[in-house]
Amino acid sequence: MRLLRQITTIFALLLTSCMRWEYGEQEHFNLLGEGMFVTNEGNFTFGGASLSFYDPEGRHIENEMFYRANAMKLGDVAQSMVVRDGVGWIVVNNSHVVFAIDVETLREVGRITDLPSPRYICFVSDEKAYISQLDSDRLIIVNSKKFEVTGEIVCPMTTAYRTGSTEQMVIVGDYLYVVCWSYQRRILKIDTRTDEVVDYVDIGVQPKSIVADRNGKLWVVSDGGYEDNVIGYEASRLYRIEPEGLEVEREFELGKSGTGNATRTASRLKINDAGDTIYWIDGGVWRMSIEAEELPAEPFIRPTMTGSMPSLYYALGVAPDTEEVYVGDALDYQQRSIIYRYSREGELLDTFTAGVIAGDFCWKR
Amino acid sequence: MMRRLCVILLLMVAPLSVVAEGRDWLRDGLEIPDVEVVARRPMRDIGVDQTKIDSAMLHQNISLSMADILSFNSSIFVKNSGRATLSTVSFRGTSPSHTQVVWNGLRINSPMLGMTDFSMIPSFLVDKAMLLHGSSSVTEAGGGLGGAVRLSTTPVQEEGFGLHFVQGVGSFWTFDDFLRLTYNKGRWQTSTRVVFSTSKNNYRYRNYDKRENIYDDEGKIVGQYYPEERNRNGSFRDAHLMQDVYYKTKGGDRLSLNAWYTNSYRELPLLTTDYGSSPTYENYQRENTFRGVVGYDHIRRNWQVGAKAGYIYTWLGYDYSYNNVASTCSRSRINTVYGSLSGSYSFEEARVVLSADVTLHENFVRSEDNAVGYKADRTELSAVVSARWQPIERLGVAATLREEMYGTKWTLPIPVVAVEGVVSKKGNVMLRASASRNYRAPSLNDLYFRPGGNPDLRSESGWSYDAGISSEVGRKAIYKFRVSASWFESWIDDWILWLPTNKGFFSPGNVKSVHSYGVEAQASLWVRLAKDWRLELNGSAAWTPSVNVGEPISAGDDSIGKQLPYIPQFSASVTGRLSFRSWSLLYKWCHYSERYTMSSNDVSLTGRLPAYFMNNIELEKGFSFRWAELTLKGAINNLFDEEYVSVLSHPMPGINFEIFVGIRPKWGKKR
Repeated sequence: MRLLRQITTIFALLLTSCMRWEYGEQEHFNLLGEGMFVTNEGNFTFGGASLSFYDPEGRHIENEMFYRANAMKLGDVAQSMVVRDGVGWIVVNNSHVVFAIDVETLREVGRITDLPSPRYICFVSDEKAYISQLDSDRLIIVNSKKFEVTGEIVCPMTTAYRTGSTEQMVIVGDYLYVVCWSYQRRILKIDTRTDEVVDYVDIGVQPKSIVADRNGKLWVVSDGGYEDNVIGYEASRLYRIEPEGLEVEREFELGKSGTGNATRTASRLKINDAGDTIYWIDGGVWRMSIEAEELPAEPFIRPTMTGSMPSLYYALGVAPDTEEVYVGDALDYQQRSIIYRYSREGELLDTFTAGVIAGDFCWKR
Repeated sequence: MMRRLCVILLLMVAPLSVVAEGRDWLRDGLEIPDVEVVARRPMRDIGVDQTKIDSAMLHQNISLSMADILSFNSSIFVKNSGRATLSTVSFRGTSPSHTQVVWNGLRINSPMLGMTDFSMIPSFLVDKAMLLHGSSSVTEAGGGLGGAVRLSTTPVQEEGFGLHFVQGVGSFWTFDDFLRLTYNKGRWQTSTRVVFSTSKNNYRYRNYDKRENIYDDEGKIVGQYYPEERNRNGSFRDAHLMQDVYYKTKGGDRLSLNAWYTNSYRELPLLTTDYGSSPTYENYQRENTFRGVVGYDHIRRNWQVGAKAGYIYTWLGYDYSYNNVASTCSRSRINTVYGSLSGSYSFEEARVVLSADVTLHENFVRSEDNAVGYKADRTELSAVVSARWQPIERLGVAATLREEMYGTKWTLPIPVVAVEGVVSKKGNVMLRASASRNYRAPSLNDLYFRPGGNPDLRSESGWSYDAGISSEVGRKAIYKFRVSASWFESWIDDWILWLPTNKGFFSPGNVKSVHSYGVEAQASLWVRLAKDWRLELNGSAAWTPSVNVGEPISAGDDSIGKQLPYIPQFSASVTGRLSFRSWSLLYKWCHYSERYTMSSNDVSLTGRLPAYFMNNIELEKGFSFRWAELTLKGAINNLFDEEYVSVLSHPMPGINFEIFVGIRPKWGKKR
């Protein structure tokens, strides 16, 4: 019986070793100055998206700001963010939600839920915005004051293959221009007054990024697809498109920085605040005047080399006032991303770490 | 850490098999087996580091899969997110694809994925399970950089016709059924087993990843709370049919047929961070798998030969749709043809055993998702020769050489050398050591998946070394105690990892070199406490750092020298069974330390996987009637209602219950 008592004691010790979950508390923030938000995608299906805030003047980064302000997770794959009138709109793709936060307190002020596969949000007015969808041919129309879905636009796709896809958007005049990315090659022109598709044009395989320059011209980068892609596989391309008739005015072949699926691609087309210089990632970071007739011979920022391995840059942003360039390196996609901050002249100004897979930058002015 | 390990080592303890097929233990109480402690082991086990899971543990209750069994009866890491979800097993800090799984000689790792889903293996369909750690796996199969799991069925021992039926009813509308029909007469033994499980699996949990808003009349948020939610979209329906036939010839040769069919429908639960509420949401996977193997064994006093042939067919479907828009419609078909020849010869006077084995797997895979996919086939040939020598009774030496071919590529020779010796007869203290090289070829998805497959991948390769000590003492019919501990070290190069690309999909690469090392320990105790009282304890613990020692992939890469993500450094389990006549109380406990979710080992608020302890308990009572034996069992899982996760954003169920009623009619048997 002595042995039995000893064994009982051992079991009693084991039973007291239970864990209890620890959860966050809401922190109080009051971000009065300018700065830059970083949306970090996190790993797919792990619900590890996060929000960082960088103070360029103080050269200080704070991470996991959404969680700390709201005591809950941001969600799964934070795709993009837009700031409008003191409200930050964070599109969280695999959580089927768009969160609206006060950009000073970072507290939630509303949410739009049950979205099929949201990617980007583009505002037409204070009350009306469009939300693109990765796995859908429907562009969602929302009332941003009421956080309600008010309608949808059925978009004609290049192919009926899969579900269709709408990606980045830009507004020029009364028209919304949308690139259709996943297994598509189309740019749509939508009248924002009637919410009708009025025109479209098919270009290179999988156009993914779109911006408008100071002349109202559209610039688009296609990623070129991948080997055995049903819609084609080709080099990435950069296009300049006239918005009225959707005529392709210029076309440049990109993706010359490497070979294979992982590197033969260009992405993240951005434009400066003046609308006269475009930037994109293609191995390194490239910069080109909108008036240029030819591609630059050398990248603006070369990829960082570690031994013989170049960095695979994943995120790109151009600061609106200073035209400083921010480049995100997701490293192995399982640790905090490194963000490099460069001056307009290409001088490295600062390096800091954000969250896992930093994917998009958004400025608070 | 070492202190913690020592404490657990002291606590460890494992059951002996007490429930033999056909024994009327319900009537007689648990019979104490005669305990004869000997240090001498079969020559085939020279230098082998193995863990046996006995049939009593395998056949605890019909709701358990092999993933559950291994969680509570070994120190290897089992990763899952609840019942009927993908459950993977990894040894010694390696990845699930570094675990080879063999069922009745047939390797059942998916050639497409490289790994095995242990939730798809009901433990009631397995009669013997053996874990082969590290280099000990090379004798069983190549590619087990972490180890191998050997599963097998055995002929029924009970004479005549037998029937065993168990009905289980549990929380969350869970129903488990098991039926076994057996026949054993003369040279024939047959067994037919059916397992059917279904559940809504819609357990409640407090969602701490999400907060619901309380709005005022103007739509402003005036309050928030963590909602209590149900596990949405988590139902499952699994069915298994297994047929075993054995025939023994006049000359003692044995013929066998083992066939196993699985039909599964499983929904994939929503993440805790999912704000979708579409009633037309669909996210589920289906599987139809047939595995069959026929075997012939010709066994003589000092030599034996055997031949096996097998076939596996798997159909996998995965569908995802939202608002009736189907974005994923994945279909895969895998056909595998298998054949093997084996033989061994024993030189009794010289105490030498030679053995050889040649195995062929021919895999045909067709995988597509909305017409994007690949079609590939690969021949996998593996040959192994072994020599085991016992020059004196206390010393054994073994050497093994394996050679493998994947497609048209040959690996370098895979050698294993092992030695063991009894250093003290008093206490039967034995030392053991081994060293080996190993390779694992990329899976067919690694090579050819569209988009992202990388045909330029190299095989992962590694060296591993281990050494161990064991001791076994006992007193006949009073107690038996066994303890063992192993130190191991392995180096794996060209570790394959899937990483996102800036094209929006993942692609694999040979990106890491990994150094894993540590200590594994096991102990078991069987003791008769008093008349009719028996106690069996079984424990295991492992300390398994697994460190990235490769080159930085980019400036600022902070993962070098850090523990691999999602792999715990420390794990432990204890099971204890207290028996009194026809009563039996089983307690199960397991622990995993915190797992990092970042390769840099940073701990974040959003990506924490805290350590957890799990406690389950079962109480069983047997009734013996003239016409049948009945058993009544109650099981409580997550006894202390812990809120925990094993995989991020997938909450595990709280306390839950299941009762089981079993019957074995005594048809035609002596009453």
